[in-house]
Amino acid sequence: MKTLIKIKPKDYKAGDIVKIDFMAMHPMETGMRKNKDTGALIPAEYIDEVKFLFNDTLITKMVIWESLSVNPLMSISFKVPGAGALKVIAKDNKGQSVESTTQITPKG
Amino acid sequence: MERRSFLKGFGAVAACAIALPHVASAAEEKKSAGPNEMNYETAVAAITGGKALVASDKVKMEAPEIAENGAVVPVKVTVESPMTSKDHVKAIHVLASKNGNVRCANIYLTPANGEAFFGTRVKLGGTQDVVAIAEMSDGTFLTAKQNVKVTIGGCG
Amino acid sequence: MRTLSITAALVCLAFLATANAEEKLSMSEADKKMYAELLESNPAEMEVAEGEQLFGELIGSANYAKMLGVKEKDLPKYIAGFPRYVESAKKVVTLAQTIQMAAAANEKPVPKLESKEMVKMSAYVKSIANGQKTSIDVKANKHMQEMMKLGQEVFEERRGGRGLSCNNCHSSDIVGQRLRMQPLPDLGAKETAAAGTWPAYRMTQSQMVTLDKRMQQCMKNALLAEIPLGSKEIVALEVYVTNKTKGNNISVPSVKR
Repeated sequence: MKTLIKIKPKDYKAGDIVKIDFMAMHPMETGMRKNKDTGALIPAEYIDEVKFLFNDTLITKMVIWESLSVNPLMSISFKVPGAGALKVIAKDNKGQSVESTTQITPKG
Repeated sequence: MERRSFLKGFGAVAACAIALPHVASAAEEKKSAGPNEMNYETAVAAITGGKALVASDKVKMEAPEIAENGAVVPVKVTVESPMTSKDHVKAIHVLASKNGNVRCANIYLTPANGEAFFGTRVKLGGTQDVVAIAEMSDGTFLTAKQNVKVTIGGCG
Repeated sequence: MRTLSITAALVCLAFLATANAEEKLSMSEADKKMYAELLESNPAEMEVAEGEQLFGELIGSANYAKMLGVKEKDLPKYIAGFPRYVESAKKVVTLAQTIQMAAAANEKPVPKLESKEMVKMSAYVKSIANGQKTSIDVKANKHMQEMMKLGQEVFEERRGGRGLSCNNCHSSDIVGQRLRMQPLPDLGAKETAAAGTWPAYRMTQSQMVTLDKRMQQCMKNALLAEIPLGSKEIVALEVYVTNKTKGNNISVPSVKR
C-alpha cells in the first residue's frame, strides 16, 4: 500500500492549525462489483481503520467503510504543539497494514 | 395500478434511457447487497443510540450539488467548536443515505485536532443525500446534509 | 396492464426529461472549486513519485539528457516541446517513446507503451516540465509539418459504423454542448489546457491515464477502431491536439472526470 502524507500549508508555526492529508493507493472494493469476465463477485477489500498519532499519542482514530473512493483521501485538522513525529497507521479488512511517518517542523 | 408492475415497466424503459441520470441510478440500486449492508435508519440509531438528531448551522457540510461522476465525490465537514477538553466534538460521522452500506466514515476526534474537520471523497451509487452527524462532548448529536446529484458524463 | 404501465412510464419519462431541462445542469462555482481542490491532494502524485523512482532505476536524468542530446538543466524546456523530431530516432516521437529509446540505449529492458510502469514514468518525465509552457513547434522542420498535416487528417477522418470523427465532438463551434451530462470541452482552452495536463488522474477509472490512451478510450466509446499506441497516426494526433494548447501551462498530473 503506497501512502502519502501532506501538511498544508507547507510553512507553519507552533500553535497554527494545519490540515493533514493522508492518501493511500487502495482498491476500496465494495464487494458488490462483479468480475466482467467470470461474473463472480469481487471480494470486499477496503481500508477499515486509520490512526493518526503525534509523538505516539493518538490524535484521531477513523473507522472507514467501503464507500470511500478508490485511492482514498482522509484529511483532518491538527493544532501544531511543536516539533515531533506524525505517524499514520492504516489497516485494511484483509489485515494488511502500513505505517507512514512524517516530521512536523514548525518554523519560528 | 400496482406500484410493482409500474416499476417493472419503468425499469424496462430505464434501461434504454441512459441520458437521464436519475433513472439510470435507480437501475443501479438493484445491485446485490455488499458485506456490510446497512440502511440509513439503522446506521443513525447505531450512532445516536436513539437520541435526537438536531439539524444545526454549527455543522457545515460541503459537497457538490452536482457531481460530475459518482466515483469521486469530494466531501468536507467542519463543526463549530472550541475543541477544548470540556467542550469539543467527539466524532464526525459521514453517511451516504442511499448507498448499500450508508456508512462512509466514523472519525473520532480529540482536542488535539484544534478544529473539528474531516475531508474525504466518497463513492455514490446515485443521487442522494450526504449526511454529517457531529457527536458533541455534551452528549448531543448535531447534523447537516447536502443533496448530491450524480450525473453521467460524456464519452467514457 | 403491461402496455399501460409502459405508457405510464413513458409519460413519466417525458416529464422527467422536461424537469431535467429546467433543472440546473451545470456545476456552480462552489462545486467547481471543490473539484479544483482535488488537484491539491491528487492520488496520482503517488504514482508520479513511483514513476520518478522507476525512471531513476531504469535511466536517470543524466543519461536521458545525454540520449536526447541536451544539457540536463535544459530538460524542462526541451520536454515542454514534445512531441518533437528527435534526430537519433529519425522521426517525431512522444515522451514515452524517448523513454523506450533511453532504456534501450542504457541496455535495460524496454518498457511497453501500454504498461503501468510507462504511464508512471512518462507522467514523471512530463512533470519535469511543470511550470513551463507547451512549446510544440509544428513548423520546426518538414517532419513536424508532415505530422501536423497527418494529425489534422486523422482528427477529421470519419470512421466506424457511425461515421464519427474526433472533430464531430471536438470542433471549436460546438464547445459547451452536452454529451449526456458532460459539457464538451474546448481542447484549446487555457483553463483546461488539455494537452498540457495529461497524464491525468481519471476519477471514473481511479487511475492515471496518458493523453494517447485517453484518445484511444474516446475512440472506443465512439465505436471506432483504436489507433495503436506508438503508431505514426496516434503520434500525429497527439501533435495536432498538443498544438491547440501551445503556450498554455504544463501541469502534471491533473485530475479529470
